[in-house]
Amino acid sequence: MKSFARAALAAALLVAASPFAGPAAAQGTIKFGALYPFSGGLALLGDESFRGFELAVEERNAAGGIDGKKIEYIKGDAVDPNQAVGEARRLTSVDKVSAIFGTYSSSLSLAATQVTELAGVPYFELGAVSDPITERGFKYVFRTNATARDFAVRMVDSVIEAIAPALGVKPADLKVGIIHEDSLYGQTVSGYQKTRAKEKGLNVVEVLPYSAKSVDLTPVILRLKSAGVDVVLQTSYQNDTVLFFRQMKDQGYKPKAVMGAGGGYSTRDTMMAVGAENMEGALDVDFTQYNTNPKATPGLTEFVGKYKAKYGIDPRSGHSLANYMGAKVFFDAIAAAKSTDADKVRAAVMKVDIPVGETATGWGAKFSEQGQNTRAQPFLMQWQGGNLVTVFPEAAAVAKMKVGVGAN
Amino acid sequence: MDVLIQLVLNGILLGSMYAIISVGLTLIFGIVRVVNFAHGEFLMVGMYAAYLLAAKFGLHPYASAIPVVLLLFALGALVQRFLIQPLLSADEHIQIFATVGLSTALVNLALLLFGADLYSVPPSAAQGSVQVAGFTLVKGQIVMFVCALALVAGLHLFMQSTALGRAIRATAQNRNAALLMGVKVDKIYVIAFGMGAACVGLASALVMPLYPVTPTIGTYFVLTAFVVVVLGGMRSMYGAFFGAMIIGLVDSLSGYYIAPDLKEVVYFALFLLILIFKPTGLFGLGRGTE
Repeated sequence: MKSFARAALAAALLVAASPFAGPAAAQGTIKFGALYPFSGGLALLGDESFRGFELAVEERNAAGGIDGKKIEYIKGDAVDPNQAVGEARRLTSVDKVSAIFGTYSSSLSLAATQVTELAGVPYFELGAVSDPITERGFKYVFRTNATARDFAVRMVDSVIEAIAPALGVKPADLKVGIIHEDSLYGQTVSGYQKTRAKEKGLNVVEVLPYSAKSVDLTPVILRLKSAGVDVVLQTSYQNDTVLFFRQMKDQGYKPKAVMGAGGGYSTRDTMMAVGAENMEGALDVDFTQYNTNPKATPGLTEFVGKYKAKYGIDPRSGHSLANYMGAKVFFDAIAAAKSTDADKVRAAVMKVDIPVGETATGWGAKFSEQGQNTRAQPFLMQWQGGNLVTVFPEAAAVAKMKVGVGAN
Repeated sequence: MDVLIQLVLNGILLGSMYAIISVGLTLIFGIVRVVNFAHGEFLMVGMYAAYLLAAKFGLHPYASAIPVVLLLFALGALVQRFLIQPLLSADEHIQIFATVGLSTALVNLALLLFGADLYSVPPSAAQGSVQVAGFTLVKGQIVMFVCALALVAGLHLFMQSTALGRAIRATAQNRNAALLMGVKVDKIYVIAFGMGAACVGLASALVMPLYPVTPTIGTYFVLTAFVVVVLGGMRSMYGAFFGAMIIGLVDSLSGYYIAPDLKEVVYFALFLLILIFKPTGLFGLGRGTE
């Protein structure tokens, strides 16, 4: 093994030193940073996000790279905001990358973008949802994915556009309850929900924050039950989602619909812990998942095939897909800029104009002055028979939405 | 009215869960005089053990109580023998740092071995509920209530009527006098720490059917357990039991009548008031015993 490695190294050196090296090498490479949490508590989904970026790079390089230049990337391990800052500094000043892609977690992205903006290096966010990332007036921060506000708006609008028609009632006649864990995440999303619900004239009868570390949610459930809430909107992490569904069953509370968002509702672990029959009918707003109509998401099936070929398993969550889609959009923009100069890249990103339904996530791409993609939309999914299937909007749906929660 | 009775029932059942966890903490604090900050992590270790026994051998969590209790007894005894004992004559802060360090190490060990995912045992009858006169009682919580009563009664008998129990009480009352009377104090400490951890072992087997386990699950329960222990007078097992009931009721009632996110505020306010007006706790033995 060792001797093979030596031989390979020697061969590589010979090729590199040879004046007859291929044209690609002569034209050089283009260097990007890949900033994700690769270790620590966020590592699982951080790595899942990175895989999407990695597949996009491989695909692009196989097709000749950007402007004939091969893409090379340098990993930065952002375990926490401090390290995100440190790694962003290293990537921009030592490694001199032309742009950074990342980050999965919002707190990491908020910290790292401060560094890259000052250094005048473009930062392409492919997965973090916090709205302020693209609300600080930064020039070189761009984001392809939907934000927390988009999630909240989709949740509220789904009550009007999907749930009320399915129940055959007027939206204003439904009693809506908003429950959320009381950290920054829950506060932010529920805040947007309240505003949107008010705009749309929905009847919100209960707003109940609770600690995500609570070991008993029966008081919350009894409040919802006493108020006769028909539709529950929950913003939660995993543990409290599991607890809510278990205790809802224990207390015999059967609302007409329960809707959540993100990791707490989308992961298989949650469904397994709750039990497929109790999770039946739970609605979920999230990034595009894999049970989505391929007509609305061209490239999705191919992506899953490539993923399986490289990693030997099915994608573990929708994060890889969102990162893959975002990386591809930005690679095209950089190619169109014909330069890695930050201002030229910005000008090219501003010219991107992809209609909805023409990428692997089903999103379009059109960027605001702040760098936010205005055509990214989370879909509405539902747990049916232990699978998470897209049910709304209709173009992306693979199954019809059912009403009611739980089999009992 | 119906809601009130339902909330009171829920509160008592929730209290019995806190009771089993707190009794162990009280034993360790009352006898060994060490504040065990790794108590929540002991619960986490016990829950992973119960999960593994269920996943690998198909054991119901209740059946796994026996091996888990033994395992936790051993863990507690080892911690006392090799971590706390060398530090017994050192400053109290050093002991606190040792248990805090142990807690951090255990959380990260669990992250390394199991990752941040949650694991739960297959659904069982313990998750269901029964209707009694129109009120809903969760079966798993009824089991916990019965076990909490049995645990306190069993410990009471053990402490009052066995030679080892008397030796433990003697050590708790006065270490040096007990030593002079021929009690092997170091051995008593090892046993007492083991027993405290074994109580958590029982708690983890009972909690497992109702809550999924993650590396940080200990932090969900342990802060409440500390409040309960202080409320109950720090060294009193019965105090811990009734303290747990009070916290359970406060939790349940304030979560409904005030707001779910303010229930911690309510019981910490209660906690502060008790510290101000009765610093030795509700069931404390008077000044100087805290």
